[in-house]
Parts: sequence; C-alpha cells; structure tokens
Amino acid sequence: MANEEIKSKLKAFFMSDLGVDGDVLNYDTPLFGEEIGLDSVDSLEIISFVDDNFGVSMTGVAKENFQSIDTIAAFIEKNKA
Amino acid sequence: MTSNNRRCVVSGLGVICAVGNNVEETWKNALNSVSGIHKTTSLDTKNCYADLAAEVNCDTLDDIECPDEKDRASKLCIKAMKEALNDAGLGDFADSSRVSVIIGSCVGGVLSIEQYHRHGKNVNEIPKMPIAAIASQVAEACHAGGIVTNVGNACAAGTISIALACDLIRAGKADVVIAGGSDSFASVPYSGFLSLHALDENGCSPFNHCNGITLGEGAGIVIVESLEHAEKRNAKRYCEVLGAGVTSDAHHITAPREDGVCLLEAMDRAVRNSGIKKSDIGYLNAHGTGTGKNDNAEINAFHKFFDEENPTLSVSSTKVMTGHCLGAAGAIEAVFSIKALTTNTVLPTLHYTAEDSEALKAKVGTMDYVQNTPRAKELECVMSNNVAFGGTNASIVFSKKPGDVQSQVAKDKKIAVTGIGIVSPIGNSKEIYLDAVKNGKLPESASICSTVTNDDYKELGIKMAFYRKLDNLGQLQTVSGMRALKDANFTVTEDNAKQIGIIVGTSEGGLGATYDFEELIAEAGNAGGSAFKFPHTVYNAAGGYLSILSGIKGYGVTITTGPLSGLDSIGYSMNVIHDGQEEAMMATGTDENLPIITELCQKMNVAADKVVEPYSNSNGFVVGDGSVSIIMETEDYAKSRGAKVYCYALGYGNGRKNVKFGHISGSDEALDLAIKDALNDAGVSVDEIDAVCGFANGFKKIDDIEKGAYARVFGDKLASLPLFQVKERVGEGRAASATLAAAEAALMLGGELAEENAYFIANGEVSKKKVATAGFKKILVTSFATGGSYSAVVLGK
Repeated sequence: MANEEIKSKLKAFFMSDLGVDGDVLNYDTPLFGEEIGLDSVDSLEIISFVDDNFGVSMTGVAKENFQSIDTIAAFIEKNKA
Repeated sequence: MTSNNRRCVVSGLGVICAVGNNVEETWKNALNSVSGIHKTTSLDTKNCYADLAAEVNCDTLDDIECPDEKDRASKLCIKAMKEALNDAGLGDFADSSRVSVIIGSCVGGVLSIEQYHRHGKNVNEIPKMPIAAIASQVAEACHAGGIVTNVGNACAAGTISIALACDLIRAGKADVVIAGGSDSFASVPYSGFLSLHALDENGCSPFNHCNGITLGEGAGIVIVESLEHAEKRNAKRYCEVLGAGVTSDAHHITAPREDGVCLLEAMDRAVRNSGIKKSDIGYLNAHGTGTGKNDNAEINAFHKFFDEENPTLSVSSTKVMTGHCLGAAGAIEAVFSIKALTTNTVLPTLHYTAEDSEALKAKVGTMDYVQNTPRAKELECVMSNNVAFGGTNASIVFSKKPGDVQSQVAKDKKIAVTGIGIVSPIGNSKEIYLDAVKNGKLPESASICSTVTNDDYKELGIKMAFYRKLDNLGQLQTVSGMRALKDANFTVTEDNAKQIGIIVGTSEGGLGATYDFEELIAEAGNAGGSAFKFPHTVYNAAGGYLSILSGIKGYGVTITTGPLSGLDSIGYSMNVIHDGQEEAMMATGTDENLPIITELCQKMNVAADKVVEPYSNSNGFVVGDGSVSIIMETEDYAKSRGAKVYCYALGYGNGRKNVKFGHISGSDEALDLAIKDALNDAGVSVDEIDAVCGFANGFKKIDDIEKGAYARVFGDKLASLPLFQVKERVGEGRAASATLAAAEAALMLGGELAEENAYFIANGEVSKKKVATAGFKKILVTSFATGGSYSAVVLGK
C-alpha cells in the first residue's frame, strides 16, 4: 500500500470514528495537541484500527509515533510485513 | 446531635453476588476470604485477552411473579429486596405513599437489549431494556407506592441511591426507602472494558498489581427507615446512615482525576454532613477497582484527607471478592460496610504476598490497608466510597451513633429560576423556540429529532477537540446546559464550581448508545468493542460531558425513571438546595430519538403513524426528543450576582399506583396524589393555580389519565383552566418534554411568552384558544412514567 493511501485511510478513520473535523486535520497536525485533542482512549482506538487494517501492532509503542498522521503512517510503512 | 426526626436507620439488608446468594452466605464466605472470581461461563471470550468474571450462581432467580417480563438485573434486585424486607420484618406495602424505592444501575437491561437484537427482535424484550424498569419492578413486587427513582451514575449509582434515600426521609417525603443497586454481567460491559484495556487478565488486584478490573454482577439492598418509623414498629436497627457527599470531577469521561481532589471533596462533604470528625471513621471501604488510575487517585485522596487526623485508618477493597458489580457495587459494598461496622470486623483485600505488602507500605505509609485476612477492630463509623465514569464521586457514612447530620438547613430559602436552555426538534435556543410557539409551528412528521450543528458549538465557544467526542445524547445535553448557563449569565469559576451541581433526568439515557455498541460487537465479537463508543453507554455520560465542559464540580446525579425524570430533576434539585448542599443547581431533562428509539416505539405500538396533537384520541404519539436545562438557585445567590428571575420553584410532589412497567392504565389516581402532594409542598391551594403545563401527547391512553385527574382535582374550575401542551410542537420527548413543560411555565411567569394556544376541557370536550399569560401567578407542571408514577411541580411568581 502506498504511503499516501495509508494516510488517507488514517484520515478517514479519524473523521468517521473519532469525530475529528477533516477541515483542520492535515497529515502533520499534532493529534494530541489542543486543536484535535486526542487522549488515551483515542490511542486505544488507533492501535486497534492500525492492527485490524494494516496488520501492524502499535501496542506499547513510543508516544512520538502517534504524533501525527505522518508519524503513524511512517511507523506502519516501517513495520508492515 | 442529629434531631430524631432527621435520623435514618438501616433495618434490613439483602445481597446477591458471586460470593453468596444472601447476606449470611456472602459474609461467611467473605470472612473466609473466598473470592467469587472465576473463568466466565456465560460469555464468548474468543480472541479476548481476559476471561475472568465474578458471576452469580443462583437457580431461584425465576421464583418471582412473571419472570419473563423481567431482565436479569431486575431479578437480582428483587431477590435482594425480598431478603432485605424479610430481614427488616417488612412485607407488602399496599401502595403506601410513604414507601419509596431508589435503585442504581449502570447497564440495566443490557441482556434484554442483546436478546432483542440477536434473537428475532421480540417486542416483549423492549420494556425490560431501560434501567427505569428495575426500581419500578421492585416497587411493583412489594407494592411500594411512594417515590420510585433509578439512579444512572454508573459505578457510583448504588451509593448515591442510599444517599438519596436519606435525603427523601429527612425531607419528610418517605418513611421507608428500599435503596440499593443492581447490574448483571453481559457482553456490552465486558467488551467495553476489554476495549479500554481495563480488565486484568489475572483477576483484579486492588492497590497492589493494579492491572485492571474484573467484572462482577449482583444486587445489594439496604432498607433505610426513619428512626420514628423503625421505633414505632420496634424494628431491628443495624446502624444509622449519616451524611453523604456527591461531586463531579469535571475532568474526563472515563478516567478519574489523578490528584483525587474531587473525591476528597466528596469525602469532606460526607464527613461534614455527618457532623463527625475524620478520626471517627475506623474503616473505609474503598472503590478499589484495581486499575492503576483509580487506585492511585484514591491513595492520593486518602493521604490528603486522612494523613493528619486519621493516619491509621483501615482501608480495603472488597471487589477482589465480588468483582466490580458496577451499579450494584456501592450497594453491595454498603452491605459489607454495615456488616463490618456491626460486627467490628474489617474485611481484607486479598492476594497479597510479603513482597506485595512491602511495596504497598511504601505507597500508603502508616495507613492500615488490611490484607488477606479479616481484622477485628472496634468501629464507630465506617465510610464507603464509589466513583464512576462521567467523573462522579460518592461517599457515605454509616455509624453506630446518630452524629450531627446537616440536612434541610436551607429549607426556608426561596429557590429562583434564573436560566433556561432549550434544544428541541424545532430549534436549539430559547429564542427560536419562542418564535416557533408564536408561529404555531408543528411537527413535520411522526418521528422528529433535534439537530445540533457546528453553529451551536461556535456560538457557545465549544471546541472541536471537545465536541468530537460527544454522542448524540451528549450533544443535546451539552448544548442545552451551556445555553442555560449563558441565559442565567452564570459563569462557572474556580470559586463557584463547587457551589453548583447538575441533575440530569432521562427516560432512556444511554439505551440508544448501548444498542449501537451491541450491534457493533454482535458483528465483531466481544474482542471488537470500541473504546471511543463504550463510555456513551452509561446513562450519566451526557451529564459528565456537561460537567467537563462547564467546569461544574458540585453535585452530579443522573436519574432515569421515565419521562417524569425531567420533572424529578427539578424536585431533587430543590431538595439539594434545601439541604444546603449547593447554592445553585442545573435541572435538566434529556432524551434522544435515534432510529432505534423510533423502531422500539413502533414495535410497542405507541408511535403514531402521522402527526397527531394532544387530546386527539390517537393510538400513538409523535416520537420526539431534546434537552432542556433550567438553572435554579437560592434567591440570595441570584440577587448577589444580579441575576434576572423568571419565577420561583415552590414545591414538588409525587404519586404512584403500581401497574406493570411498560403500562400506565389503572394508575390514574396516582396523578391526583402527585398534584395534591406538590400543592401541599408548595403551600398552594387548587384555586390558586392559574394554568397547567401537562404531558398529553395525543395517545388516548395517556391523555385520558391526564383529563380524568384534572377533572377530579380541579372540579368546576377545569372548564376555565388553560392547559398547555408542549408535545404538540416537539412530540413525546420524554424527560426533555417534561423539563420543557416546566421551562414554558417559567417563560410565561417571567413574561417572555405573552400568549400561547391553550386547551380547555369542559364536560369531556376539548377546545383550543389563544390565551394571554400576563396574569398568571402560579402554574402546575405534571409528568408521568410507565409503571404508575407521576410527578408534579409548582412554579410561581
């Protein structure tokens, strides 16, 4: 899967499942910052989504990988089989 | 010392949980450190990382009348109730208005929701689904004819029920209250806590390994009785119930505040309201779920609260034996606490090794966290704490001595209505609603719903980072609540955050969200739950979100007893203010109309197939929704901040005649009782009532009850008495419509609704004409619930 496709899938997930407004969500927008405001409950959902859709486990992975769509996509790219 | 007429005693106990099917068996097993936690036998655990639970093993749950009409949660509760009444030497109450029932629950009839969804959508499952069924069916089983209330504050619901029981008795509204909580183990909570990674695969280990909870199930009942009533019948007396404290974290929908300061505030209120010293408490039954977040927050709060004055307090969590029984937890733990007090025995937290004990000591210092075996200790007072999703904290004190309980200390204070927030199918602000009334706007179809938009959020300054988390019910609630604060010009600050509380009334609460979650896991399996969606299944999530958004940290309770919950939120709020608990309260009514709600109404044959108006003798009603919030505060407080006053809340009343939950016919005269009770409470005569804001919705069965009661109560006066019916515009919005009826009364009395179409009933004939409202001085507001309960409120200039 191309990097762009992963990012677009992630963005669609944030919009449909975590209620994020797509207009303010760019690939480099900090997810856990004030504007988007993700928290620990949301990170559980991200882990579950990434596992189900890309077969990559993010359980126990360092925080910086969750910073933005860019960093999550990079982690998936690096770790997918 | 507490005056005799304010003393509440415990005269009976009942319990059923994984540790035992009655008090004797449970206590005996607990003393022997028997845990009820085992591998679950009832649920599918495929791909699930944890498979332990504390399940009830009892083959006599169906030995009750009409078991097919009751969810497991009701059956557990009725079993515990029967034991408690038997223990108290009480029996059938013959619809006595002095006997009330208050039951807490978290997931209510979730097994019936699952059964309906997975096995053919059988209409018989529908009345068993809402939490509201539990207290109603308990009342029906023993013919309690007083106030019937369900508390929906998730894991703190059981404790709050007992606190409310005492509040009612001390306000003179009841002599006996059957109080407690009930919940059953089911896929939705199991999958939900799995999705949150909040289950401990090895079984919960409170204050020790703290890797998560283990779910349990069961029910606990405490018979709370006025001293006077108990003495008169020479009843057994276990102990006194002293004061309680209920607060809101205003922090996070699932996680407690790490600093534990709002739990500390709840404990502080409980101690102050009891009129005791911190050092009088010998044992604290902690919430102690076994999650790191909960246990550390509690340890922090206990240090801050007790270190100085009570450094060797004994503490334990009994959840290591019973599992976390959610809405039943507080009730079961109350039974443990009372048994501990009366037998001078502290139960332990189990499964500590020597190494664990050392590690614990480093965390808790001199405090006595009792481990592995029971401890004999002379006890004077014990405290039981519970906290919940939505940020609720509750603490209550049981005692051998009467203490110096503070209650009804502000009974003489006038309560002003100072703010109104309206979210409805015809618009999301007071101004739009008033315009709609003026223009005679009617429903556009037989199923209508409110729509919150980004414009609402923008206007109220609600950020996306917050509103993205809300489910539909939470959207309705937060917008109406924030609009009410704005209308009252009430700014919540660090200084006043604890002086204002919230009572949410809701008929179905999180039922729609629970159904949504059930659909998800029926497809994906129990391992496929959503951590994002699960918090919405608890009925107090909407109130919790409002507390987080507004910063309100005072009292926070969600009651869920059918449509009248939207009026009971006003009645209970008045009582909170009269008790001197808060200077101000937000009373709200909120219910949603998701497609599943309309489906359930249609299946039950109560939904109209076209738009109908009140008193149209139809076979159903328009299904509606909404959220309406009303700010009430002491007149002094309103004056001190220069608030405008719409009107005053003068009195509230209730009436009940037991019929089956889901039904209403045959309970007619209970509405008369509710109206008379409210008039009496307000010190107002029938002749002084200038208008009624009622609950007619077009469905003949419901409207006829209203017509009949008004004819009996008002007699000849009825022909010239204007009746206003909000449901002609917003449909049957259950609790939202009940609060809306009160809001309309306030708008009329406050001069903001100068004229409106009124219904008149003369000789059974209904007519309608426009009426000027300027001369109104006192208005009666009424509502109903299935099962035979009615509520009324009197508002006046």
